[in-house]
Amino acid sequence: MPPKSSSGKDKDIAEEDEVLQAVILADSFNKRFKPLTVGKPRCLLPICNATLLDWTFESLALAGVQEIFVICRSYADQVKAAIRDSKWSKPSTGLKIVTIMTAKETFSPGDAMRDIYTHGIITSDFVLVTGDLVSNVRIDEVVRAHKERRRTNKDAIMTMVVKESGATHRTRSRGESGVFVLDPETSECLHYEPTIGYPATPLVKIPREVLAEHPEVEIRYDLVDCSIDVCSVEVPSLFQDNFDYLDIRRDFVHGVLTSDLLIKNIYCYVAKDGYAARVADTRSYDAVSKDILSRWTFPLVPDDNHPGGHSYEHLRGNKYIAKGNSVVLSRTCKIGNNTLIGAHTTIEANASVHSSVIGQRCTIGAGAVLRDAYIFDDTHIGAGCVVEGTIIGERVRIGDRCRIPRGCLIAEGVVIGDNAKLRRFERVSKKRDAEEAVGDEDADDEDEEEEDSDLEEVEAHQEGVEEIVGKGSNALVWPQGAPEEDETLDEREQYNNQRLMRMCDDASDLELSDEGSTTDDDFSDTDTSYSMRSRASSMTSNSGPSLSLNLGDPSAETSAIHSLSYAAAESEFRSEVEQSLERAFAEGHSVENAAVELKTLRMASNVPLRRVREAVVGALVDRVPLVPGDPAAQRAEIGGVVRRWGALVDKIGGVDAVETVEVLQYHCAAAPLAARQALFAQVLAAFYQADLVEEDDIRKWHASPAGRGEGLKPGSPLAEGVKRCWAVGTKMIEQFDAESESEEESEDESDEDEAPPKPQAKTAVPAKAPAKEESTDEESEDESEDEDEPAPPTPQAKTAASVSAPAKEESSSGSEESEEDDEEEVAPPKPQAQPAVSPKAPAKQESSSEEEEESEEESDEGSEDSAPAKPAASPPSAAPPTTAPPAVAPPVVVPPKATPPAAAPATIQPSAPPVPPSAQPSKAQAPQPETDSESSEEDSSESESGESESPAKTASTPAT
Amino acid sequence: MAPEPQNIPGHRAVETLVAKLRRRQVVGSREAALETAIVLRQVVSKARFTNIQQLITVIREVGRRLAEAQPKEHSVGNTVRRVLHNVREEYNSATKGSAASRNVYSIGKFVLQGQPRKQSGGAAKSDGRITLKENDPDDQDSFARALKPVLMEAIQDVLDELETVYDNVSKNAKDHVHSDEIILTIGHSKTVEAFLKSAGHYRNYTVIVAETAPSYQGHEMARSLSAAGISTFLVPDSSIFAIMSRVNKVILGAHAILANGGLFAISGALLAATAARAHSTPVVVCAGQFKLTPLWNLYHEYGALDFADPSSVLGFEEGKLVERVDVVNPYYDYVGPELVDVFITNDGDHPPSSVYRLIKETYDDDDHEL
Repeated sequence: MPPKSSSGKDKDIAEEDEVLQAVILADSFNKRFKPLTVGKPRCLLPICNATLLDWTFESLALAGVQEIFVICRSYADQVKAAIRDSKWSKPSTGLKIVTIMTAKETFSPGDAMRDIYTHGIITSDFVLVTGDLVSNVRIDEVVRAHKERRRTNKDAIMTMVVKESGATHRTRSRGESGVFVLDPETSECLHYEPTIGYPATPLVKIPREVLAEHPEVEIRYDLVDCSIDVCSVEVPSLFQDNFDYLDIRRDFVHGVLTSDLLIKNIYCYVAKDGYAARVADTRSYDAVSKDILSRWTFPLVPDDNHPGGHSYEHLRGNKYIAKGNSVVLSRTCKIGNNTLIGAHTTIEANASVHSSVIGQRCTIGAGAVLRDAYIFDDTHIGAGCVVEGTIIGERVRIGDRCRIPRGCLIAEGVVIGDNAKLRRFERVSKKRDAEEAVGDEDADDEDEEEEDSDLEEVEAHQEGVEEIVGKGSNALVWPQGAPEEDETLDEREQYNNQRLMRMCDDASDLELSDEGSTTDDDFSDTDTSYSMRSRASSMTSNSGPSLSLNLGDPSAETSAIHSLSYAAAESEFRSEVEQSLERAFAEGHSVENAAVELKTLRMASNVPLRRVREAVVGALVDRVPLVPGDPAAQRAEIGGVVRRWGALVDKIGGVDAVETVEVLQYHCAAAPLAARQALFAQVLAAFYQADLVEEDDIRKWHASPAGRGEGLKPGSPLAEGVKRCWAVGTKMIEQFDAESESEEESEDESDEDEAPPKPQAKTAVPAKAPAKEESTDEESEDESEDEDEPAPPTPQAKTAASVSAPAKEESSSGSEESEEDDEEEVAPPKPQAQPAVSPKAPAKQESSSEEEEESEEESDEGSEDSAPAKPAASPPSAAPPTTAPPAVAPPVVVPPKATPPAAAPATIQPSAPPVPPSAQPSKAQAPQPETDSESSEEDSSESESGESESPAKTASTPAT
Repeated sequence: MAPEPQNIPGHRAVETLVAKLRRRQVVGSREAALETAIVLRQVVSKARFTNIQQLITVIREVGRRLAEAQPKEHSVGNTVRRVLHNVREEYNSATKGSAASRNVYSIGKFVLQGQPRKQSGGAAKSDGRITLKENDPDDQDSFARALKPVLMEAIQDVLDELETVYDNVSKNAKDHVHSDEIILTIGHSKTVEAFLKSAGHYRNYTVIVAETAPSYQGHEMARSLSAAGISTFLVPDSSIFAIMSRVNKVILGAHAILANGGLFAISGALLAATAARAHSTPVVVCAGQFKLTPLWNLYHEYGALDFADPSSVLGFEEGKLVERVDVVNPYYDYVGPELVDVFITNDGDHPPSSVYRLIKETYDDDDHEL
């Protein structure tokens, strides 16, 4: 129940009588603040003398949120108590705060989201934030924009708030960030790639269709992810459905955007005004503190609206001293700029304090020097100490003349003796008392157990500590340096990457520049995958093989490991698919159901589409019972199977007929039985008849290097088989040619004397035209909805289409294709168009032979160019590298419209970017060494027939 | 003595306004004053009291909370003081039964009244329970019931005054602006805008608007004035001094007028006022009476200027600079009394030197510290 008060009504948000809910994930799910977070949750750490949770509440209250759910895991009791005692729980704030304790098995934000789902607390759109947010962004405006969008588009499930900051802003985490691909007009997030700082993510891949479908995209690496998400109700349920989503950005956003199963949109809200940042690590703790002190968070500043309710006086130079004359500043002490001093604190003679935050009731001894230090409440710093770049917890006593250099973290209650000299990045926590350790036993916290084991580990390495922490200290020194590499640890939690998130660590010894960040000179014409060098933000485009070369250096060994695990996953997947298909065949599922099952399997095991296709085609072929010695019966069998199940091949998530043929070829070639090998021709013919493949696909396959079996070891049985199949294809194509010439003359003539595949193919032809029409229709509909009126089939129209194509600015490549399709649809039935057919055929023939030549050349050149079926007439590169963005910050706009549209479909399509199947873009290349044209995972080649005909058509135009 | 915050009637409305003030969701002196008056009306209408002292304590308590929530919106405290003043006045007149005893010396009526006479304020208090019975043991509510209607009226007066302040300030505009004058203004003060527009009905003159970086409110001002048919120029702040020699009058808005005759005004106002002084150009300040603040700013407190976030000066996206440069973005300037020639208020025109007297008339002395 929302508070039925006038206060609630006054809020702008209440216009729809809907309570705005917010969910705070109060657990960080990582250990970046250890040891400060020993015995205390991170959200209760103070920043500028108010706990992070207070800042978060204030940020939400600013937005008019009325109901807040706080999801906590570690130290939930403390969080609860803190909320109960805070001003937020008073009824007058108009906030209703509910704390929810999640199970101890909650190890990620994803788990927490699933927990939210099971609690069923969410009733409408809600704001999802982390418990360490400092923000003054008008979230209510984001919510309004989100709701507005939802009114027209039910699939807009989420709006992420991001803030423009430049790539090297102090508040922007170097260790983990992301590349956002946005549509500048709608600010839809088209793609998201997480990046990490070390090893630097060298490449980010953007799926082709993002560029194909949007005339303008912004690729941005200058955004601070504020981790404020306005989510709709289905977001928790999506987490529930996808039980492997762990992180909200890396898994959920990335997963939703790359999924072709979930048709959901995610939007970004680029906050122009206001400030929002997360305190995700000690580095950002430092940065956010400084931002608060330099008033970026206005009006959330210490002297104005301090979330902790303290009042401070603002003095020149952004010094904030607690009001009420409780602060004792010695006459000779020096207070530098950007300093906050809490109530009842004493600073003794000659001490100097710069850019620091000092809590309440602290004493800073005479002559002490504090620089960039963050000192929590009730702490004593001895005389003559030098403290720099350090976070010091509550109730710490530091003896006289200590040196605490940059990067140290000193946990609550530690006592450090006189003259101690800590090393840099020392982490110190309090030794547990004996009875305390016993007392802990009855605390049921599994979490504490986990912690205990941590502590025990630390306790094991305590020799020689006395020198570091001084006499009479109760301190435990945590081990420094990289811990033994823990394979289970997420990449971004690895030591070196963590260093980038550590306060005052400039990490200058880490190799952060990536080797490939200079722009490559050898742009090939067929550049098709858009890859962005994330760190330098310069953009280069590369074809597949050279991509993997780029990746070679930094990730060679990891990719090897990766490919191993990958192989295991794949074999598991294969057996799963086999079983699934077996079931489908046996129980007679509908094609749709089987397709859904396969899609789900593919999602779950994260394999490229090609594998699914292989499995399906293989299963189909194996399903055909062999009828030796009776070609007609054999044909009937095949026909039956293909009629019943053939459609499955195109329903698994993408249509790529060329790949289908190739997969079929390889499957048959690899079959141990010669009889099965011979099935190739018949199955191919059946596919042709069932419109799974078209003549052009066969031609294209035939021309492709993979189709000819290049790259296989000559002499191996597989290569032999592939060769044989290819020969069958040659025969078939000859027949196509012959047929197209003799088409007008007689259609019923050559029924008998053909090679096995022919009869079906022949008879199929008359019936084909309408069927084909339909299928192209379907396909083109996918691409552009607006083509309902068929373009006139007159020659003028054709020339107009082809001529105007390059000049066309607005139309994306998709509509271009569809136009082509239209022509094709209309052309055959019209008698006037009939003469055009005959000149067309030779032209087509010509072009395909040119293709062949060219692809030969290309393959001679090496694997650089992965567009085997590139039409001869194609203008240069689809993605002119000249549009590569300038380095770093400014939003990159890659306008596909600048590319010659005629070429765009044809060139982009064949070597559709090898989009990584897994979340790690850089490694994905490794398991697919045969990065060939067909490895496209997406529905890249939907309207192949239309495209590949385009050059031929253009050529034929003058003839008509 | 002070009641517990929870016992304050209309407690929730007060807290809401406190939160809004803290969060700067209510900005602008008139807006804040209006909200305050509305909240006080609620408080008074719900309050239970048996004598005037109780009521005043409650109002003071509420006022203190509101004023503390946002010490830089001076009009909040001013409105509270004004309400207190009116409440006492109503009480006095009710107890004395005649309005004649309200004959208080006023600088506005100086000529009419002549020499000030000795005030005889609280003398009649003790015998003033003719119509009102305070602390009536039989009927606890009788006092409140009898007094409330007049009190509500008194608060309504404050509200009405706030609502008509622009009209009242600008009613004499044509006497201050003459034909073919060139007037310089800065910022986008609603009062000044109404003043100039009203003058525009009678006079044909030119306004030069400084664009008022970094908020660039001058743009809006210039747009609005030229839409009203006044010949308007928009100039950068840097050229204020250069064009000052051609300017006949500088008209400024104010955020708050201090007791010493100085004022807080949008940043840039000090620049304009100083330039005007150098050219001996008269500086006129247009402001409602509710901006009169019993404060002196003797020590030129630094924080009083209200520092906003630096983003309008230095973009947040300038990562490297943000780290190394301290940017301050004061929202207000303090313009000293020596730079101002006259204040035009809805209560007549006054020189800076008599502001203290105005304040003394408008508020009761006991309320200066809430």
